Amino acid sequence: MTSPTPAVSQNLAMRSIPQEVTGRAGVFAVCFCFLFSIAPHFVNLPIWVIIIVLIALVWRSLQNIGMIGELPKWMLIPLVLFGGVGVFAEYWTIVGRDAGLALLTVMTSFKFLESRRHRDMLILVFLCYFLIATHFLFSQSIPTAVMMFVTLVVITATLITLNQRDDSVSVKKRLQSSARLVTLSVPLMLILFVLVPRIPGPLWGLQSEQRGGVTGLSDRMSPGKISNLIRSNEVAFRVEFEGDIPAQSELYWRGPVMASYDGFSWSQTPRRSRSRPDLVLSAPPVDYTVTLEPNGEHWLLALDIPTRMIKDSIMTGDYQLISKQEINDLKRYSMQSRLAYQIGIDETAGYLATTLEYPDRYNPETLEYGKSLALLFDRPEEIVEEVLKMFREQEYYYTLRPPALGNNSVDEFLFGTRRGFCEHYAGAFALLMRSAGIPARVVTGYQGGEYNQVGNYLIVRQSDAHAWAEVWIENRGWLRVDPTAAVSPSRIENGIDEALADEQSSFRIQNRNPVFGNLLYSWDNLQHSWNDWVLNYDDRKQRNFLQKLDLGIENWSDMIFALVFLLLLVTALYWLIAWYRERPPRPQAYEMMFNRLLKKLSKRGFRKQPAEDTRAFLARLPQGELPQRDQIAAIVELYNRIKYGRHGASARALDTLRSMINSVRI
Amino acid sequence: MLSVALPRPVRRFIDNWFDSHNPPSRDSILLHNRRLYILPTRFGYLFAIMLLLLFLAAINYQNSMAFVLTFMLTSLVIVSLWHTHKNLLGVTVHMQIPRPVFCGESCELKFELSHDNTSRRYAIGIQYLDRPPVYLKLDPAGSAQAKLKIPTHLRGEFWLAGITVFTRYPTGLFHAWGWLKFDLPVLIYPRPATGVTLQHSMIEQYDGQTSTSTIEGDDFAGLREHREGESLRHISWKAYAQGRGLLTKTFQGQARPSLWIDWDLLSQDSTEEKLSLMTALVLAAESEEQKYGLRLPGVLIEQGYGNAHKHNCLQTLAVFRQPAGNHEFRPADD
Repeated sequence: MTSPTPAVSQNLAMRSIPQEVTGRAGVFAVCFCFLFSIAPHFVNLPIWVIIIVLIALVWRSLQNIGMIGELPKWMLIPLVLFGGVGVFAEYWTIVGRDAGLALLTVMTSFKFLESRRHRDMLILVFLCYFLIATHFLFSQSIPTAVMMFVTLVVITATLITLNQRDDSVSVKKRLQSSARLVTLSVPLMLILFVLVPRIPGPLWGLQSEQRGGVTGLSDRMSPGKISNLIRSNEVAFRVEFEGDIPAQSELYWRGPVMASYDGFSWSQTPRRSRSRPDLVLSAPPVDYTVTLEPNGEHWLLALDIPTRMIKDSIMTGDYQLISKQEINDLKRYSMQSRLAYQIGIDETAGYLATTLEYPDRYNPETLEYGKSLALLFDRPEEIVEEVLKMFREQEYYYTLRPPALGNNSVDEFLFGTRRGFCEHYAGAFALLMRSAGIPARVVTGYQGGEYNQVGNYLIVRQSDAHAWAEVWIENRGWLRVDPTAAVSPSRIENGIDEALADEQSSFRIQNRNPVFGNLLYSWDNLQHSWNDWVLNYDDRKQRNFLQKLDLGIENWSDMIFALVFLLLLVTALYWLIAWYRERPPRPQAYEMMFNRLLKKLSKRGFRKQPAEDTRAFLARLPQGELPQRDQIAAIVELYNRIKYGRHGASARALDTLRSMINSVRI
Repeated sequence: MLSVALPRPVRRFIDNWFDSHNPPSRDSILLHNRRLYILPTRFGYLFAIMLLLLFLAAINYQNSMAFVLTFMLTSLVIVSLWHTHKNLLGVTVHMQIPRPVFCGESCELKFELSHDNTSRRYAIGIQYLDRPPVYLKLDPAGSAQAKLKIPTHLRGEFWLAGITVFTRYPTGLFHAWGWLKFDLPVLIYPRPATGVTLQHSMIEQYDGQTSTSTIEGDDFAGLREHREGESLRHISWKAYAQGRGLLTKTFQGQARPSLWIDWDLLSQDSTEEKLSLMTALVLAAESEEQKYGLRLPGVLIEQGYGNAHKHNCLQTLAVFRQPAGNHEFRPADD
């Protein structure tokens, strides 16, 4: 005989498992998982990509039930080339958000066709996880986040299916297991989200990509442009004020300022930065924080007029805040404004000349009327007043559905249709002023806002978009003149809803839905908090939050220490709960009683062997040495009846057993 | 995987450490914390790379939801690390004593896994080296059996190594495993040579010996008291029916022919060929109901017959001049 020698060098090798072909349930699960992850993207993908996805899924499913064969291997390379060329033809690039998504989708679909083995399936599942991330390049709203969790459960259930190796487990059970894993991950995720040190990005240059279908102010203003925008009920930004919210009529949110006019539309002049401070302030500051929804442009909205600078932005000579980057993500900034001010008293002659220009070819009646005003009145203020009086006293209407206008749009509007929206009034007014020799420009932005009493902040929607004019008067600088206020005072006093009440267009939550108003305000408040706490949680917010918590977490090493500590704490808690819930069941009451008897007997030297039947043990007990043997025999009988009998452990039987065992004196 | 890259002394140190923490067991192994190991699988590493990419993208785009997703998946990794470990923790593995086989046949190892938790355990695999594993699941407080067939290509007495019990459930990101080292030798007899009959010239045969009063033979000689272990076939049931107790019939006459299977008489060159031939002769002698003994250099087994004797002979042949230091099971090169 040889002696056993220790095994050598087997220890460290972690075994690889030979590749297996995935079972039917696994393939179907992966198919569904891919469909589920990609379906929300169907709106962002070209139709031919969607068709490829569907064909791949149907093909793989039919292949799975044996109706069609596998795709020939040689076809794969042409398909991949076709996909790449197709994406390039569609977008003229293969990088960036949209093209990248299309490419990823097409390639995943082709991967599907050639996947048979366990490894391929796992890679597909990983791609599905990756696909979730691409959703956030399009939207980071609460519904998208909810969808992320649902998708995570589905994908993880697929992963479980692939690793369970038991096709008899129901889909529901798998989803339950997966939901448990995901739920257990949430607290850990929150710890990581709050405490992982945030690095201010970006790390490398970004090709800024505009979000699809963003509505917002544009850099041109022509009749009809703002009234189009106004039909959108989307939130433009939300504002929290530090003090009281100023009156509605004072809430002019300054956006793009337009000084050049081509006879039809107004547009911005090339930006000038402010050369010298020409600001006279005559009101206390108003402090507030704006959470701006992405607008795909550069403008940062602020109350007329902003008096503070923010990082990565410039203030132009016409007091417009311009962000250096396109605003494609939610932006939050603290701002200060003065509602009473004097600006541009020392305006440069060159700029003033620009604000007097207009093409002669269009709108002859308007120009003539303007020139006649200049002859009639001496002071510019009188001319302004005269025009406003005209709007006020003559038959001018404020409407969201003005008639279409031709080439001489201002003439047609002023002397023909007399129906218009704010851009008609602002544009016509500015042109009249220019023709009368008063420097004038158009300012676009928003006016007013809806107060959300649930969260104590102001909601400004695209429907609050507005346009007004500014005129320059010597020694007084640029003055705001809102011709819309002359036509429809309630637009400025009470907001867009009141002004357009007869057109049945409600934008305000309150007016839209009086019954569920508060609920809708709460929902908006939730979105606002979401923006504030989730989407805006960056390095600064993190620092402020941790400071406010006052737990002494100040720098990176503190954060990482706290992070590790909390993660360990929570996992230890999980471990404890699982250990408690899955612990072996306590032995039955009758077993415990019977064990007591056996213990007594073993003290006397009568030990029952583990494998020994109770009756055999009883037979072994010597009558002579143990006078209680008959009593014990009765107990054994009852015990076996309880354990194996039809009536089981009834309370009476247990009581009897207990009293019998207690009465035995050994 | 790892063992390849490490220098020899380091490897030996690690092996010794693992061996001292995984002593072989006689019958059952409880997979407790100190016997369980866990490492990421290849997919685990791939997943980690994906997480890193997601994290960088989240930083770069300052996309909060991408952070949420990254941290969610990171948490999923932590939770599945724990679940994979938990899926194996507390399982008891019991191995039956393996039956000896002839070299070339596959050796069947029978395991029984059990636990007393109320949890359900899935996809617990038992694997021998890199061969396809056998999977089983455990119901709450349940048990399940697994059979592992291992091909053999060397004769001898071996101690099992390289058998693991493992799991990758639920996510496949981690591989938790424990070594199944049992102190039960696996005996592999030499491969019997084919086409061998007892008329082979290499056997020293002694025919015509007679003996008295054995239970074998042709002519009835009488009855004697039954001894424990004797075959029931030779009991005189007639005498038993008459109430005379258990008596065994004895016979007079020719007993089994006896023979010696002798190493020195074989002309083959190699040890293995000789052993193979001797194995075949043992089997032939046994099936032809002869008495036989073994003569090997330094080893002598007296003549005898019966199952125990056959096993003794085959075992002696199996371990005869077994190359030193080669007592582990190795996979056949197939």
